[in-house]
Amino acid sequence: MVQPEKLEIGERAEGADLVLSVEGELDLSTIPRLAQHIDGRIGSVGASLLLDLSGVTFMDSSGLRLLIELHHRAQREGWKLSLTAPAHEAAQLVLRITGADAALPFTEGPR
Amino acid sequence: MTEHRYDQENVPPAGTQALAFARHILDRAHNGAVMLDEDGVVTYWNESAERIFGLAGAQALGRPVAELIIPERQRAAHREGLRRFLEEGTGPVLDRRVELSALDARGGEFPVEMTITPFKDGKRWCFHAFIQDMRELRGGERERERLVVELRNALRGSERRFDAIVGSLADAVTIRDREHRFLYANQAALEHLGFDTWEQLRSTAPESIMRDYLVYGEDGRGLQMRDIPSVRILAGEPAEPLLIRTVHRATAVERWDLLKAAPLLNEEGEVEATITIIEDVTERKRAELRSAFLAEASEALASSLDYEQTLRNVAALAVPSISDWCAVDLLTGDGQRQTVAVAHIDPERLALAERLRAYEPEQMDPEQGLGLVLRTGQPLLYPEISDEMLLAAAVDEQHLELLRAVGFSSALVVPMRLGGRILGAMTLVSAESLRVLNEFDVELAGDVGARAAVAIENARIYSERSSIARTLQQNLLPEELPAVPGYELASLYVPAVETTLVGGDFYDVWQVADGWMVIVGDVTGKGIDAAALTALVRHTMRAASEFRRSPAALLEIVDSTLKKRSTTSVCTALCMRLEGDRVTLAVGGHPPPLLLAEHEIRELDAHGPLLGAFADVCWQDFQFTLEPATTLVVYTDGITDTLSEDGVRFGLGRLFGALEPLGVSPAADVIAGLSGSLGRFQAVAHNDDTAALVVRRLAADAGCESVIASTTVGSTAANASTARTSA
Repeated sequence: MVQPEKLEIGERAEGADLVLSVEGELDLSTIPRLAQHIDGRIGSVGASLLLDLSGVTFMDSSGLRLLIELHHRAQREGWKLSLTAPAHEAAQLVLRITGADAALPFTEGPR
Repeated sequence: MTEHRYDQENVPPAGTQALAFARHILDRAHNGAVMLDEDGVVTYWNESAERIFGLAGAQALGRPVAELIIPERQRAAHREGLRRFLEEGTGPVLDRRVELSALDARGGEFPVEMTITPFKDGKRWCFHAFIQDMRELRGGERERERLVVELRNALRGSERRFDAIVGSLADAVTIRDREHRFLYANQAALEHLGFDTWEQLRSTAPESIMRDYLVYGEDGRGLQMRDIPSVRILAGEPAEPLLIRTVHRATAVERWDLLKAAPLLNEEGEVEATITIIEDVTERKRAELRSAFLAEASEALASSLDYEQTLRNVAALAVPSISDWCAVDLLTGDGQRQTVAVAHIDPERLALAERLRAYEPEQMDPEQGLGLVLRTGQPLLYPEISDEMLLAAAVDEQHLELLRAVGFSSALVVPMRLGGRILGAMTLVSAESLRVLNEFDVELAGDVGARAAVAIENARIYSERSSIARTLQQNLLPEELPAVPGYELASLYVPAVETTLVGGDFYDVWQVADGWMVIVGDVTGKGIDAAALTALVRHTMRAASEFRRSPAALLEIVDSTLKKRSTTSVCTALCMRLEGDRVTLAVGGHPPPLLLAEHEIRELDAHGPLLGAFADVCWQDFQFTLEPATTLVVYTDGITDTLSEDGVRFGLGRLFGALEPLGVSPAADVIAGLSGSLGRFQAVAHNDDTAALVVRRLAADAGCESVIASTTVGSTAANASTARTSA
């Protein structure tokens, strides 16, 4: 079942860096939209992309998978990905359980 | 119907004051009503005229109408027309509806529709005009209805004038007495009912007119005389406007009419007669039906990926919108037809279709009918099916009888084609409705056929893919859990509802040299890819378990296998080795297991990174002893992520709550309890797999030989002993 839209994506530039701030739930129903949005921007990303997840209230394994794919892609293509950790417990959970909190490039660990 | 209350004082005294009463009604008529003397000077100006032209009656009365509402460029023509009428007695704009431009008080021009009727008041001519503001046309229907209700009383005073006004209406208007005989019909009504003169109509019995037509309601059901609004009024019933579809039996002409009726009361307030306005809405209704049908058909085609069900829905929609029968045939791989849907407005008639099908030849005739359409991809229209055609088609007497019983009157076969490929055809037959299918229907049905073809193709591709994925996934789960000595196992697996999203939850239990392996995992991904990945993970684990004892080592092997794949392939897994009461556990990005005992539930502190995702990571083995009558619950995030209707997640708290009372329950009861809690919580279909595996150590007195007495409780789990493996 398709859930109603539960995701908002904001965009701003900080110097040469692109900052995407994501608010809401990152799950199977919202991931395609975020992935598409990021795909559309990656060509224009200069040196770095900061994905601000502090407003993410929930994240499931498909959300995590997107982050991992982005991380791999940044390494492969030679640009810098930084992540701001979610402030919400429910979104931190999957990162903690999977060890992604330590392995992905969070600017400060989701504590 | 507009509701009118006529107070006692307003009932006209018979005869003499009838015109005064008519005037009283005119004052309140929704149409603008204006009277002029023979010099074109305004002698009457009702309230609606004030509204329409923005000009009070006091300002209008006594002034030439030309100065008030006629645009300057038309004034000369107006004066000339007036002059000629008075001299020659003719006028091109009289006694019919004409569209004109008018001026309002501010000098703005706007369109009006006007009926100007001359009449003689003593020796002088007067003119009466009804004015419809075309800007208000949307409300026109209600307004017309009211007009007639208002005018019906004027009829008593002056039938001639009534006819002068109503006679010019484009809508058919009839007045019938209590026995339903015609008292009056305007010109439009005569034409509508197919009569040349009023005398012909008056001498025809109303029932026989009804008998000339097949009459259906909007829902396609046959209507009787008693359903007609005017007849309902006479029966003392409320008479809502009624939309009917009529088919003239002799000519098969189909028409949609909107019938509106009102009672004509006598002075005692009894119904004396009924007045009916018949509005021909055929064109409007056809356009509406067409767009509604296409919208519904598109929705039905998109609603399900089960295409046979989808085609049944479409067939049901075609009846009775287009025809009385609709059959959908698909072309099978070997060139044969497969009838997937037959619909008829009367389900009892479907039996006829079944019996007819028995007569269908093994091989379709490629030169006619369905065979021809399936061969050429071109639609075929048989506007009229004659008895000769049935005779030619019948194989024997019984067949002919059957064909006649169906009563084919018209038929249409349209292809369902996608590009150059013909996937099947829709056959539409009109029978008892006598409707003649026409080019309009060919176009409409053709549109539906094209859309249906796309739906069929999508469904085929989809069902192939999803069935492969589903089959793979199901084969990845053990058919039944093996009996592990000293333990009791039970599992829950609820696949994602949307099969395109076949998730990758899996579990497996197998025996190794000195114990048993248990894995539960979740491959992130969809469909076939997820299923293939699941197979890879599971078989890698099974193979590696033959030469590696450490669950952490198995996770590491799976991790490096996943990393070798070209696409990001990640997986959570929880791997356990059971050796008697000794449990060795490693967790790769999976929710830690829950430990459940009497009065106790908690999450083991066992964590480790996701498999296939990160560089430079390692896993740990956690060792502990599982006490008798203690249960481990391993679950996937499909459980905690389960959504309620309000968008709330089931979460760990509810999971604890669901399991807590099950501390001493057998494994199967734990699963049943969990499943029940999820079911009660979850109102929306889940789009992720949900899996849980319950591993319960049997109580020492259960008499199982492999139960080993132990003093260690599960609470020391995570830190009992850890072995590190490096990545």
